[in-house]
Amino acid sequence: MLRRLRAADGRLLSLILALVFMGTLTLYSAGRGTTQSGLWIKQTGWNAAGLLAMALLANVDPTRLFKKSLLIYALGLLSLVAVLLVGHRIGGAKRWLALGGQTFQPSELMKWITLLFVAHRLGSRPMDKVEKADFAGAVAIVVFPMLLVMKQPDLGMALSFTPILLLLPVMRGLRKRTLAALLVLLPLVGGVAWKKVLRPYQKERVLTFLNPERDPQGKGYQITQSRIAIGAGGIVGKGFTSGSQTQLNYLPVKTTDFVFAVWAEERGFLGVLIALALYGALLARMLEGARAAKTLAESYYCAGATGIFAMHILVNVGMVAGALPNKGIALPFFSYGGSSTLSVFLALGVVMGALHRARIR
Amino acid sequence: MDARSRHLLSRRLGVVQALLLAALGFLVLFYGWLQIFRHGEFQKLAIGQAVKERSLPAPRGVIYDRNGHPLVDNRKALHLVIQREDLPSDPAEITDLASSLGLDPDEVARKIRAFRRAPKGRPLVLMENLDEAGIALAERVRARHPFLAVQVAPRRVYLGDDLAGHAMGYVSEVDDQTMQANPGRYQLGEIVGRAGYEDSGNDKLKGVDGGKRILVDQLGREVASLDREDPKAGRSLYLTLDAGLQQVAREAFGEEKGAAVVLDLRDGGVLALYSSPSYDPNLFLDRLSQDMVDRYLRNPVQPMLDRATQGIYAPGSTWKLLMALSGLEHHVITPHTVFYCGGHKSFYGHDFRCDKTHGSLDLVGAIAKSCDIYFYEVASRLDIDQIYETAEKYGLTVPTGIDLPHERAPRVPSREWKRRVKHEKWYAGETISVGIGQGAVGMTPMALARFYALLATDGKLYEPHLFYGFQNPATGEREGGAAPAPKQVDIVDPAWWGVLHEGMAHVVESGTAATNPLVRQVAKEVPFSGKTGTSQVITFVDKAHYAQLAKSFKDNSLFAGFAPTDNPQIAFAVVVENAGFGSDAAAPIAAKLIQYWFVDRVKRPLPPPGGKVPDAFPATPPEEAD
Repeated sequence: MLRRLRAADGRLLSLILALVFMGTLTLYSAGRGTTQSGLWIKQTGWNAAGLLAMALLANVDPTRLFKKSLLIYALGLLSLVAVLLVGHRIGGAKRWLALGGQTFQPSELMKWITLLFVAHRLGSRPMDKVEKADFAGAVAIVVFPMLLVMKQPDLGMALSFTPILLLLPVMRGLRKRTLAALLVLLPLVGGVAWKKVLRPYQKERVLTFLNPERDPQGKGYQITQSRIAIGAGGIVGKGFTSGSQTQLNYLPVKTTDFVFAVWAEERGFLGVLIALALYGALLARMLEGARAAKTLAESYYCAGATGIFAMHILVNVGMVAGALPNKGIALPFFSYGGSSTLSVFLALGVVMGALHRARIR
Repeated sequence: MDARSRHLLSRRLGVVQALLLAALGFLVLFYGWLQIFRHGEFQKLAIGQAVKERSLPAPRGVIYDRNGHPLVDNRKALHLVIQREDLPSDPAEITDLASSLGLDPDEVARKIRAFRRAPKGRPLVLMENLDEAGIALAERVRARHPFLAVQVAPRRVYLGDDLAGHAMGYVSEVDDQTMQANPGRYQLGEIVGRAGYEDSGNDKLKGVDGGKRILVDQLGREVASLDREDPKAGRSLYLTLDAGLQQVAREAFGEEKGAAVVLDLRDGGVLALYSSPSYDPNLFLDRLSQDMVDRYLRNPVQPMLDRATQGIYAPGSTWKLLMALSGLEHHVITPHTVFYCGGHKSFYGHDFRCDKTHGSLDLVGAIAKSCDIYFYEVASRLDIDQIYETAEKYGLTVPTGIDLPHERAPRVPSREWKRRVKHEKWYAGETISVGIGQGAVGMTPMALARFYALLATDGKLYEPHLFYGFQNPATGEREGGAAPAPKQVDIVDPAWWGVLHEGMAHVVESGTAATNPLVRQVAKEVPFSGKTGTSQVITFVDKAHYAQLAKSFKDNSLFAGFAPTDNPQIAFAVVVENAGFGSDAAAPIAAKLIQYWFVDRVKRPLPPPGGKVPDAFPATPPEEAD
């Protein structure tokens, strides 16, 4: 058993453990004195299970996973359809499947499954031999589950699929012409999306982002309180379990989406620097995996995983500070959540497998 | 992986890494901007919403009667309040809040608007003195409107209910007019005395509110107390009133309207001040219901009027002592002057009547029998300004200066007065009516009592007062409150006092008051002196129609005097509205007061003070317990 765990990448593991430790402390402080005071213990259970699953997966040759990726992808799509049909509804959205008293959110795992399948498809031939049809196929593979997720509706989650698509320009490179076309097209798509696709509460979020004081007691309340928490933290922070915004409940959803504001209030700018440095090192190590991977598919997987991770970190940390719109998107290792925690560790297990096979230390 | 792919990958992943680094760098800068450059601003916001100031209202001083019986005490009450910073602004929310509490939405909205200017810490009181049902309702409504809070505040309890309603007055939140009239003196929402001694003694009674700074959570619940300054209770004090005598006055009046004042001849202290109908100040502590407004404020009987200091009555025959003084001092009569009463006499072409045919009378007889013709004769020999001059000399033209709010001055006509008020010149014929206390003459019962105190003491002009001293909080002893010495008014010939005394003694012994059996009975035990008065409410009524008249047109009944006749200790004035002859209604009430003061009080004293105030309900609120 111990031998099977040895494949875990030491550097990645120590970064992960450090972040898990910080995240657990923050959850403890955020839940203190509320009904969520036991949340950090539950999260520790998820973390332990996730770490174990990650270490086991690190020992598995990714190639074996890629071979089964079509089947896994099909099962994943099935689970998303199941969510829409028999899913568990919480607050106007059907995102969860109830299984033996536990609820799971299949979309969390689905983004990594989609990444696995896309990496497998594109990695099956050399980089400069990829056809346009392959790209079209890859886009279809990503867009299909995205649409199912948007139907739940869960725009934040659907957005976290998009980094997979960024693999394509990584493979082909971007021409200046394409870049110019994008600059023209994006505002256009944005305009259409505003009119036709976005739901009123999503529009509300964008408007609130542009001006948080627009409705300080309503939609802007979360951002306003979060910014007060962060700003009041100062350089060294208010100290562990001593942030007034956190402890007096002014900070909303402080165990999930806004958990980083707790860290920022109680640990200050220095704590933020440490957390971002650790995240940066984690992303860098994952990119190393992409560079050194034995096969193209493994490399694509590592690059895509880096993208998805970066997306979560940048969007969450930016959102909490009001630098990006208020999106319901989890921060890995900090936000409470069973499905997301397990999924994150499983995804990192595959990256570790690639690193292990590449024999880099 | 082929070499070319690896080369391409490495280059493009380098670009990705640079982009990620830039993005992380941007976040670092953004957090640095928030946490370092804007730290002070956010710190202030964080403290501002978590640290709140709350006022701790100070209880007012307890008021005791002269023997230490509490007249008003304090107990804890629960109010439903909204802190100033939590005031809702959404009209729909205010409407919902008001209707679920059973309040008028417009009224609540108006209060909320007005309260935005209130100082920090003092809350807006929505509902006062919650009972059990009120607390349950408040808790239910609070689930939807979490800014509601229940606050403990001291509340006045007037013991004896309407025993001394007008003397005590009541307290309530300061109103807009008072605030505008005294800029900077009051704070919005401050509890102030609104009538009676609560008003005039407000500065003596009020305490200094304390305050505390507390940490509140997002729901506005107090989590911790940062610092606190305890409220300083107002000083407790004694009034000169005697609860037992007050009680006798209340019982003696029953359903009758009028007022009684009893003065202590040692120092001018007010032993009893009762205005009937009285009111129960406890009912005025809360917002008035429509029923209360109709019953008290819009009632033609005017129960809120303190008839003792604000009621102006024609003094009738009680005025004849002033006429005697004026006649003597202006040398138009001597104590031995005799006039003949033939039942009626013509002055200035008008026929003036007496209620009897008295025949020849000297001054003592005229006072004892209350002969009108005698005093018409005196008045016909005087100028109105001479009468005014005497009234002024004996303190009857100004308010008595009692420490109660809005005392009215007595009205004594003069040429100047008529010119100023009626824009007409004085006709000599009018002076005749003034001779028997009719016409334009008007006295408050308080002014009359002071005048009879002066008659009793051979010219001492007192300043009547209620304040009897503060209570020393440590020993419970009375301290301070020394009354100013009375002013001595010098009569031209001191022998005249004896003549007037003789006349007033005869009134009770054998004169107009002696017709009443109760007066005779009391006078046997405590000989007293005084003067009856029957003052017309309308100018003249034929006696045959008298009985058929509606009660409100019947004459007012008056009696003023002092007791005991030798070595007087108290002076009094009693007015009973629309009750007929002075000897029928007012004199027996005075007799009952004398009976209590000199006989019953000594035989059956009130139980010693120290009765317990009804306990507060409930002792501690669900939260915000102090």
